[in-house]
Amino acid sequence: MKRLKRNAALLTTVSTLLGMTLGLSAYAGDITVYSSLEEDEISAYLAAAKKDLPDINVNVLRLSTGDLGARLIAEADNPQADVLWGFAVTNILNPRINSLLEPYAAKGSENLPAQYKADDDTWFAATGYMGAFCVNIPRLSAKGLPMPNSWQDLTNPVYKDEIVMPDPSSSGTGYLQIAAILQGLGDEKGWELIKEMDKNMAQYTTSGSRPCRMAQVGEYAIGASLSFVAMKGIEQGYPIEMIIPADWAGYELEGSGLIKGSANAEDAKRFLDWTLSSSAAEAYSEYKSIITIPGVPRTTLADMSGLPENLSDILFPVDFAKSGQERDDILNAWRAAVGR
Amino acid sequence: MGTHLKTAAIDHATARRMEWEDRLLLSVSLIIPLIGLLLFFLYPVFLIAKRSFIQRDGNFGLSNYTEVFGMSHIPTVITNSLVMSSATTLLCVTLGFAIAYAMQRTTIRGQYLIRIALILPLLAPSLVQALGLIFLLGRNGVVSQYTGWNIQIYGFWGLLISNSMYALPQAVMIIQASLRHSDSRYYDAALMMGASRWRQFIDITLPNAKFGLLSAAFVVFTVTITDFGNAAVIGGNYRVLATEIYSQVVGQMNFNMGAVIGIMLLLPTLVAVYIEKVSSQRQFGGSSESAIPVTREFVPLRDIPLAAVVHSVGLIIFMIVLTVVYASFMRLWPYRMEFTLANYNITLSGGYTPLWTSFIVSFQAAIIGVVALFALVMAQRRLPRRFAKAIYLLAILPVGVPGLVLGLSYVLSFNAPGSMLGMLYGTGLLIALCNFYHFHSQGFLTMVAGIRAVPPALEETVSCMGGGVMNSLRDAILPFMMTTLVAVFFFLFMRSMVTLSAVIFLISPTLSVGAVSVLRLDQAGFTTQAAAFSTCIMVSVLIALGLMKLILFRLSRSRASVAVVS
Repeated sequence: MKRLKRNAALLTTVSTLLGMTLGLSAYAGDITVYSSLEEDEISAYLAAAKKDLPDINVNVLRLSTGDLGARLIAEADNPQADVLWGFAVTNILNPRINSLLEPYAAKGSENLPAQYKADDDTWFAATGYMGAFCVNIPRLSAKGLPMPNSWQDLTNPVYKDEIVMPDPSSSGTGYLQIAAILQGLGDEKGWELIKEMDKNMAQYTTSGSRPCRMAQVGEYAIGASLSFVAMKGIEQGYPIEMIIPADWAGYELEGSGLIKGSANAEDAKRFLDWTLSSSAAEAYSEYKSIITIPGVPRTTLADMSGLPENLSDILFPVDFAKSGQERDDILNAWRAAVGR
Repeated sequence: MGTHLKTAAIDHATARRMEWEDRLLLSVSLIIPLIGLLLFFLYPVFLIAKRSFIQRDGNFGLSNYTEVFGMSHIPTVITNSLVMSSATTLLCVTLGFAIAYAMQRTTIRGQYLIRIALILPLLAPSLVQALGLIFLLGRNGVVSQYTGWNIQIYGFWGLLISNSMYALPQAVMIIQASLRHSDSRYYDAALMMGASRWRQFIDITLPNAKFGLLSAAFVVFTVTITDFGNAAVIGGNYRVLATEIYSQVVGQMNFNMGAVIGIMLLLPTLVAVYIEKVSSQRQFGGSSESAIPVTREFVPLRDIPLAAVVHSVGLIIFMIVLTVVYASFMRLWPYRMEFTLANYNITLSGGYTPLWTSFIVSFQAAIIGVVALFALVMAQRRLPRRFAKAIYLLAILPVGVPGLVLGLSYVLSFNAPGSMLGMLYGTGLLIALCNFYHFHSQGFLTMVAGIRAVPPALEETVSCMGGGVMNSLRDAILPFMMTTLVAVFFFLFMRSMVTLSAVIFLISPTLSVGAVSVLRLDQAGFTTQAAAFSTCIMVSVLIALGLMKLILFRLSRSRASVAVVS
């Protein structure tokens, strides 16, 4: 009898536990947004969005660009999100992702320069980020090394085994860096520089932010990474300096779009409109180095990182569509050149 | 030979006596776990396998395979993977046997320290362990700062250490299960015949541990060849196959090419065919109802060096994990080493809530896991050889599937609208099931190693006395298996708390787990907060384990007193 009772108690507990995890569904006014923007950005933007769209409850799933891409492709038969928000445009141009998007010309996209939106309105990009070096000052001075200012500088043999950069085959950041060098210098000279730099390279990391993380704790003197990763490190108080390579700073746009078959399309569209609104732009300027919305005043971040007044001086027009197609060829050539 | 005939005879005898209730119980205990394996392992993996044959042009074919093998760096990557996994296996099985032996057969002091040291790596996400290793032995780590040594942790050695830390506890768990319940009469007889301790070890201990050793080697080899987390953080330029899957799927969004490598990684699990053969051979050392437990003695020549080895391993593990805990209290590792609790104020949206979800999910995974595995192992023993063999192979296949591949295969399988299975998508229960099947093989092998030590004669006696399956379970098998069941429960529980690679694809905006928070904190650049969150996971799981042990202890005591009264 006693045992029976105990079993019954156990059963109840188990079934309660099961019940707790079942039955989560979206209510009206809820939208699901997949994003690769940074955690703290998302919270700040959502707080601003709540003021303008009080009736919409935005549920965000944040994953890194690569993980989110894999998940989107895996979910393709039955998409779970209503909106894709702030996702690398290079990846959006991949046909497997692009085919998931429904053309929608968000309010305000008509003001965006042509290179920041799709011809067929499947995506538009309000923000972007660029490649940057994280330089660890204590390590640099302990080793008596000069401050590097460009990719060209990194070929100097004094930096041997003190530089880390992401592997372009596993990281979008690594790829945008290589692509920028190749596009800036042309194939022949570009590969030459990459090979020269390889002699100094201590390792190629899997993730795009890892090089900066390594530099900030002093594992290596220089980590080639992204502007927002460097800024985050400086903000936390690590003794690092952010250097935007003076020769070819690669950059990536963060695109947004409507997911095909969204059950909450109306709310999703309103949210997309909001991402191009002036209050969104104001929120972006706290975090972003590249904002494509015209008329937005230059950001403090851009000032701090010493970006030139006219971004197009260093942000050469990247042909994202072309660069997506060339990706396999570039990666194969990279492996042959670097051999790691 | 004789044993084979004997078992066959028993099978016939019991079969005749089996009442329909027994048959029902056995069928249920076979069919439910089997359906589980088919739905939550075989079907998802089949979908991934199918993907590997879908070419770029959308047709079926082998071009993905030829493309992967045609890549210039693949031979090196395969060699690296094989070398790394073999080295880890050698190290872990040797150390694992030493530790299991020390804990089961010797009076070496401070065994509880080793036990804790072995729990720690199961409790810390591998991301955090690699971080601890870098903080401790990195180019700017504690050791190099104090000694000025130039240690090269990135690459082969770093990866070997972190892989071993990951795999060693699993090896010990399996080997220990096979060393439990040994009969001292074999040793007494050997002693009487003048066999030296060394001979006894070679002729009695080792052959009896053969199955455990082989299974442990199998598990270590496969988990290292499929694990990606360590390689990504500490592998440096030492590229392995698991990193290659990541490059293809996550880096280049070549889903189907990643599937090809995922399928390739299943090949090592074919060795399992041989292990299954060993498992079917009867164990002799402990299979007796009147077994007298081996008395532990102090043998200086054996125990002093053994203690040195075992405690050094424990110490290294402690150091690495403690470095993470220490860093979690520092303002800014390694530049502002002031004590602070600020890192425990998690700024991430959601805060500590995902930790509770983790507890629920892990508890589900462990309960479902132990019941399903025990039922399967019991039922499998009573099946005809060739069926048993098929089930056996199926049960140990999951270890060959990398977490990344398993997670994506779950999305493919369960993100299906309008079907029963689709209802699971986005629930904690699916995460629990995914975690269980991710570690299915380790649990299964531990149970098999444990059940082999149950004296068949004891079961025979119970059934001769007219007891059905239920009775033989309660009176013969459960008492012998209790320790192993608890070990498997805790293993599944702990692994579910921290595993990440598959889970990352199953979380939703409203449902996340603690391990994902650690990853998110690390990705957002809050390394010390990530360390703090991991420390919270470790401490809370240790407390939970302590509580569960206490409850179990109480239960077993009350049961013992009931038995005395009746």
